[in-house]
Amino acid sequence: MSPELIRLIIEATGDTLLMVAIAAGLGTALGLPLGVFLATSKKGELFAAPAVNAVLGALVNATRSTPFIILVVAIIPFTRLIAGTSIGTFAATVPLTVAATPFIARLIEGAIREVDQGLVEAARSMGATPLQIVRKVLVPEALPAIVLGLTLALVSLLGFSAMVGAVGGGGLGDLGIRYGYQRFMPDVMAIVVAVLIVLVQTVQSVGDRLSRRLNKRLRHA
Amino acid sequence: MNAPVKPDAFRVEALLPEPPSEAIIRFEAVGKTFAGRDSQEPVMALAGIDLVVPRGAIVGVIGRSGAGKSTLIRLVNGLERATSGRILIEGEDVTHLTEAGWRERRRATGMIFQHFNLLSSRTVFDNVALPLEIAGVPRAKIEAQVSRLLDLVGLADKRERYPAELSGGQKQRVGIARALATEPKVLLCDEATSALDPETTRAILALLKQVNRELGITILLITHEIPVIKEICDRVAVIEGGHIVEEGETFEVMTRPRHPTTASFVEAVTGVEVPEYLAGRIHKQALAGDSAVLRIAFTGENATTPVISRLSAVIGVDVNILAGRIDAIGEKPFGSLLVSVPASEPELAAVFGALKSLGLKAELVGHVS
Repeated sequence: MSPELIRLIIEATGDTLLMVAIAAGLGTALGLPLGVFLATSKKGELFAAPAVNAVLGALVNATRSTPFIILVVAIIPFTRLIAGTSIGTFAATVPLTVAATPFIARLIEGAIREVDQGLVEAARSMGATPLQIVRKVLVPEALPAIVLGLTLALVSLLGFSAMVGAVGGGGLGDLGIRYGYQRFMPDVMAIVVAVLIVLVQTVQSVGDRLSRRLNKRLRHA
Repeated sequence: MNAPVKPDAFRVEALLPEPPSEAIIRFEAVGKTFAGRDSQEPVMALAGIDLVVPRGAIVGVIGRSGAGKSTLIRLVNGLERATSGRILIEGEDVTHLTEAGWRERRRATGMIFQHFNLLSSRTVFDNVALPLEIAGVPRAKIEAQVSRLLDLVGLADKRERYPAELSGGQKQRVGIARALATEPKVLLCDEATSALDPETTRAILALLKQVNRELGITILLITHEIPVIKEICDRVAVIEGGHIVEEGETFEVMTRPRHPTTASFVEAVTGVEVPEYLAGRIHKQALAGDSAVLRIAFTGENATTPVISRLSAVIGVDVNILAGRIDAIGEKPFGSLLVSVPASEPELAAVFGALKSLGLKAELVGHVS
């Protein structure tokens, strides 16, 4: 394999990691508060706002039920507005973030809903404000599950990021399609797949280990 | 700030000695109804609750599950709101406090739970520190306060452990330390020993008693276990179907239960059942040569009377002990004894006469051949 190709693969890996990192970072920054809100705003809950909860929930579901490849195309005007263009690695982070945010929000909602309601009652009995309950009880107690959820989101984002290659985004997917598929270079395709497998494995095992480390419910010898 | 301040008025009040049995918590005709789910009928949880918790006392509320006791205790720190009546805490009507007002109040009320409700992500130290963090206490003060409390509950060596590494009794000790962190005047105990084994229960009850006597903290507890009441409560209220059916000094209520619910609770610790082997042989009508089975109740000083030897020596009847249990309620002995005596009319009359003169209550259970 030519040094030129190796350079391309390394570059594409870097692009993929960058896209995924930006999308995961922004997706978490937006998805965490959204997820916390979804988990605490039904009737009788800490920030009870059932109407807002229902609207946001419907919005999240709508985004999540749109196939990613259609979402990418559908929001091109929005992508142009944000990134100035709809082509390339940087532009691809916009649809990735839009897809990641509701996904992460639902994962975080699920993690928070798993927290024992007795802990919320205990915090209330201490005179905690709803915000204190979120910061000091719900998020710390849900953290091991949140980390597992974010790991799942990262793995999904690696897959999505390969897909944006099909519509002119950069990264490993783009490389695989242009060289591996369109130029009939099966070795490039194989390497792209291998690199993605290694990335997914690494993300998953780091996430698992971190979550286990944070989980104090298990007895540590 | 412009309103004229009358310092004297305050001072006079502050100088008045506190009456010993002043109510720290007072329920006046309190009712609680939960809105029905999905347009169903509303559910009555509590009705017409009148209850006084004297300052410095340990008051127990006993009832079966669903009797309303959980709702009752949650009315004291505003986790539930009354739908009728008035609740006064230290003379202040808290019935219509806002959520923000309640938050302030809750810092002066500690609460412990059946399942401890400790944060699994925090160490023992940080769990106890939580209410202080919530109240915005500076870190240095938190350090000192938490250390003092961990010493009090005997867990100083576990401060860096996580709840998952502790036994049930140790977890409840952490719960108690946490509840005391903000130096509350009232401690609410929600079935605090129901998840613990009998031995651990005794140790936790002893700690609660110590907290009450040494720190002067008023305790209101709810339970379904009469031993808890018997062990530490000065006063007891029996709750059934959302109503308080009986209330009074623990010893009075337990030795002279007036309501059937109370009687069945009391039976569990102090009553003696007729033993299995005998139950089938007992009949109502006396036959020639039968023995009479009597249940003798002991209360207070009489519990120490040497009744059997008196009966044998004074009347000259043979007394056969079938079953018995003598216990103590708040250091006063209490119990009952099941005996059989010869059943002839004059002998039986003499036995009852003698028991009465000793101040003991006796009841004829039946006859046995």
